[in-house]
Amino acid sequence: MSGTRTETGGLIDRTKTLRFRFDGRGYAGHPGDTLASALLANGVRVLGRSFKYHRPRGVWGGWFDDPNAILDVGLDGNAIPNCQATTTPLLDGMESRAVNAWPSAARDVKGGLDLLHRWLGAGFYYKTFIWPDWHLFEPTIRRMAGLGAVDGKTIPDYVADQIHDSCDLLVVGGGAAGLAAARAAAEAGQDVVLVEDHADLGGGLYRRGGEVEGRSPADWLAEQRAAIETAGGCILSSTTAFGVYDHGLVGLATDRGFARAPRLTRMRARRTLMATGALDRPLTFADNDRPGVMSLQAAAEYLGRYGVLVGRRIVVLSNNSAGQSAVAALRAAGAEVVEADPADGPIRALGGARLNGVQVGDRQLACDSLLVSGGLTPVVHLWRHAGGKLDWSETANAFLPGAAPEGMAAIGAANGTFNLQAALEEARAVALGKPPAPSASSYTIRPLWPEPGAKGRQWIDFQHDVTLKDIELAARENYVSVEHLKRYTTLGMAADQGKTSNMAGLAAMAAIQGRPIPEVGTTTFRPPFVPVPLELYHGARRGQLLNPLKRLALEPQHRQAGAALGEYGGWLRPGWYGGKPARDAIRDEVQMARSSAGIFDGSPLGKIEVMGPDAAAFVDFVYYNTVATLKPGHIRYGFMLTESGAVYDDGVIARLGSEHFVISCSSSHVDGVETMLESWRQDGNDPDRIFVHDATQHWATLAVTGPKAREILGALVLDLNLSRDVFPHMSFRETIFAGTPLRIARVSFTGDVSFELSLRTAKAADLWAALTMAGAEHGAGPIGIEALSVLRAEKGFIIIGKDTDGETMPHDLGFGGPRQKKKTAFVGDRGLHSEAANAPDRRQLVGLSVPEGSPALPTGAHLVTGDKPRSEGIVTSSYISPTLDRPIALALLARGAARHGEVLRVWHMGQVRAATVTPPCALDPKGARLDA
Amino acid sequence: MQLFPCPFCGARDEREFHFMGEAGKTRPDTQQPVSDADWAAYLYDQRNDKGRVREVWMHLPCREVFGMQRDSVTMQVLGTTAFRKAGA
Amino acid sequence: MRDDGRKWDAPPEYSQPLTGAGVRAARVWPQRQVLISAPDVLARIEAAGWPGVVRGDSYALSLRRDRVLEVDGPPRDEGWDGRQAVTEVTDAYAVIQIEGPQALALCRRGTELSLSHPSRSVARQMFGLPVFLYRWQTEDRFRLHTPRGYGQALWQTLAAHMRQMRP
Ligand SMILES: [Zn+2]
Repeated sequence: MSGTRTETGGLIDRTKTLRFRFDGRGYAGHPGDTLASALLANGVRVLGRSFKYHRPRGVWGGWFDDPNAILDVGLDGNAIPNCQATTTPLLDGMESRAVNAWPSAARDVKGGLDLLHRWLGAGFYYKTFIWPDWHLFEPTIRRMAGLGAVDGKTIPDYVADQIHDSCDLLVVGGGAAGLAAARAAAEAGQDVVLVEDHADLGGGLYRRGGEVEGRSPADWLAEQRAAIETAGGCILSSTTAFGVYDHGLVGLATDRGFARAPRLTRMRARRTLMATGALDRPLTFADNDRPGVMSLQAAAEYLGRYGVLVGRRIVVLSNNSAGQSAVAALRAAGAEVVEADPADGPIRALGGARLNGVQVGDRQLACDSLLVSGGLTPVVHLWRHAGGKLDWSETANAFLPGAAPEGMAAIGAANGTFNLQAALEEARAVALGKPPAPSASSYTIRPLWPEPGAKGRQWIDFQHDVTLKDIELAARENYVSVEHLKRYTTLGMAADQGKTSNMAGLAAMAAIQGRPIPEVGTTTFRPPFVPVPLELYHGARRGQLLNPLKRLALEPQHRQAGAALGEYGGWLRPGWYGGKPARDAIRDEVQMARSSAGIFDGSPLGKIEVMGPDAAAFVDFVYYNTVATLKPGHIRYGFMLTESGAVYDDGVIARLGSEHFVISCSSSHVDGVETMLESWRQDGNDPDRIFVHDATQHWATLAVTGPKAREILGALVLDLNLSRDVFPHMSFRETIFAGTPLRIARVSFTGDVSFELSLRTAKAADLWAALTMAGAEHGAGPIGIEALSVLRAEKGFIIIGKDTDGETMPHDLGFGGPRQKKKTAFVGDRGLHSEAANAPDRRQLVGLSVPEGSPALPTGAHLVTGDKPRSEGIVTSSYISPTLDRPIALALLARGAARHGEVLRVWHMGQVRAATVTPPCALDPKGARLDA
Repeated sequence: MQLFPCPFCGARDEREFHFMGEAGKTRPDTQQPVSDADWAAYLYDQRNDKGRVREVWMHLPCREVFGMQRDSVTMQVLGTTAFRKAGA
Repeated sequence: MRDDGRKWDAPPEYSQPLTGAGVRAARVWPQRQVLISAPDVLARIEAAGWPGVVRGDSYALSLRRDRVLEVDGPPRDEGWDGRQAVTEVTDAYAVIQIEGPQALALCRRGTELSLSHPSRSVARQMFGLPVFLYRWQTEDRFRLHTPRGYGQALWQTLAAHMRQMRP
């Protein structure tokens, strides 16, 4: 046991005791502790095992910079894997266990893996597990890899709260510089938000000790907090700024307690001040990964913030001036501290899992803790997220913020201003947008970087077991770019994302190559700055709300009728009805529609109104077909094309008046068509003379289709003559139903007499009830989308995107007229005369029939010819036609229109069948049923 | 997440916007002969500049089609151009 | 061809308002909603933007530089009358009213929104859904119009966020 709790000091509440367990043994701590500080106070040294070699690991850092102590933590039946012990607040009853270790971190059975280290260097997996096949080894390696264990249980109500906020000034970091800046800005009237990732403000003041501007740290902090809040500033503690995104957006994660999802704040800050401080970096020497080797800064942190003295007999190895106050504080707390000069020769940590000394050159020093300080490294992650530049400082021996990203500035230690008074002055100036007064730095450092070729195993990345030798190997194998180095060795890919290892790693590479450090450069800094649960990004938008479907007004009626509901083009719609197996239900619905009538909820069909003096010319321009000649009261079927000439949508357009059209596009294309209309309206046309109103969802549309359709409508008491002479196919009428306007379009997607009835959605249930009641008299009833798909396929009617692809043009579908004859300009006109459009082997729409007794063809099957089979087309729709009692299919086939009667082979998954090319329409080709 | 300024609505979340294309393209007059090369250039040629770009965007909630000048490296928005006078 | 009906909740009972900490949401049913478009429509019809407070029973919302949505106005003839284009859309938009001291906080979960960032249009996206958002009668009462097919999704989304609005 080496760590102990001090009698006084720190932010912990010694009057209360919290009980917790680690690797099966019970311990006690206090409110204010983290798991790491409490374990250190109990003298626990080994808190984990490294990823690859299972080497024993102790605590290195004091906060987010620790790569070693990762625990699975449970409390009250909820378990969270992979918690950083140094940042997890201790709670009473916590059950914790080291990851990657069994039965315990102290006695891990896989510790023997370390003996194989000679063969397990960088690239070991790439080089070894390639023969005969990586997949042979993958399951075993996967079992050995990974850290924490997931218990598979869902934590109830683990949902991130997500809010948006904005401010004039966001200060990241609640240390001295951040507080001074926030206060100055708030008192100058700025809308200030300050975030601090600890629960308490103060940052580095706890490890520094001494007075701040003549006051005790506690008094000074209380004064700043009060002043900021009085001036209207907002302080968010336990909140990490984890990423900076475009246009001043900063992602904030607020801890809401154990097993509770954090809150995400998307903070839009006019200006962001980075007051994130600086980290002490490790020194690279032999066996520097031993438990008991710790950052000097962290030791000061444990003493000042948590009242934990990490050792009794301490050796300090430091190449810089920053740790002087820490040494004094450790001595004052009763430790025996020896300062050794790391420049005095090769260094080696001595002892096994229990450190017992250090060799420095010829000197051997006994100790229980070895505190090292390799120099301060400003925490510049957010700066780099935002695109700020870094400059190498020879005097500070570190990368410091250089050219600033827009709206951002760095202050305090994060800016390389390590002197407290200078940092405060800088903070206050920068907060008010003034240049800081230059000040001489009292910080001194002697460069001390990894030495290539040095003896012993010298760790660069503690968690991922990347040693100096691995970096030398990577350099020999030409992985010299830092980005390659990272991926080849996994340097910096551990849970701390290189916070402790990257500087040493790139300095090692620089030394190996004899290049200056800034020339080697850093890897890319990417959010998140610390690990955040995926749930942070998830929030309430889950389940049905992740990608919500549009819902029909008549959904209750459909559910009542036993509808099977599914997604069709962004809407939840009835596929079929009656609770029967799909195949039977669809067959029965088709037969009902052909013998009597089907009633179909087509409400999602587009109802986009185009109005204004230029409306006729405009729809003529956006349609392939000529629309300008359409008479009021009439309807035309047509295509909208892309500029390349491909079919984008098909639908009907009705003319209500000389300057008033309604475009009924496909249900799934309403938004797309409306956007396309708006873009052409505002680009190349006079938008003051054309207006596009999407009224789709105001209207419910019910279609009645079948030989009994006219009789069923006749029962509705409409003031309308429905006879075919007066109300012919492709015409349009307006009337009144139950006191409300009713629009009736005679269009047909089935080949039978059909009426599309549209009325305001609020009255849809009345119309549905009337139609189904009237229909029942004739044996007619609801049909779903699946039956409609069969009905239209029997007629050879296409569904865009199913029977067409991104290259299909109207003349491939038998609609070549306007391409040759239309005189006015229209979207896609030139595209229809490109070389590709004129190609002789274009894929054209055909039908397919199969020999008697054959099953339906698979959709997607290839149509092939020749000795060496070559695909000349694909089956796009295929069903068993209940009306014809045989399989039918539609296909796109090269030169298909000229090949009716030809027998082709149909290839699917190695199976070959025969089919005969036919016209697309398999039922009633003369259209007798339509005029029945 | 970027903020784009709609000339009518003001600054809004980038997810409200739809990229329509690079600015400066004019639809050829298809009533006159248009060469394959000219039509292909209209359909497919993109400048794809690094740095300052001029683009056409639509603000979906208000369907405003407008010009935007941006920096494709820094993501900075340099300005917008309204194409319409109505409602000014 | 699957029956996914059970994956999707049946339509909610709108007669029961949602209540949360400092906020309450309820469906409201305007008598009439009408789109009016014309180049000069904003000059002729006073229409609210954000964050103005709409007062009066009959009002208009500014949607675009040439379009307003008139709510509970007089009946109008539809189509183009030589000056403006008119389309009735009463049933095209579901309207949800949320009110209370936390109403703005609830709205801010849906998008970046600030009373100090005015907008000439009430049209925006919130919670990933298209909405018209404005304040109605008082400073802490908001109305959201969303396409009717998304009414249920918006209702469920508000309920989910209200559950999160605990301290
Ligand atoms: Zn806009």
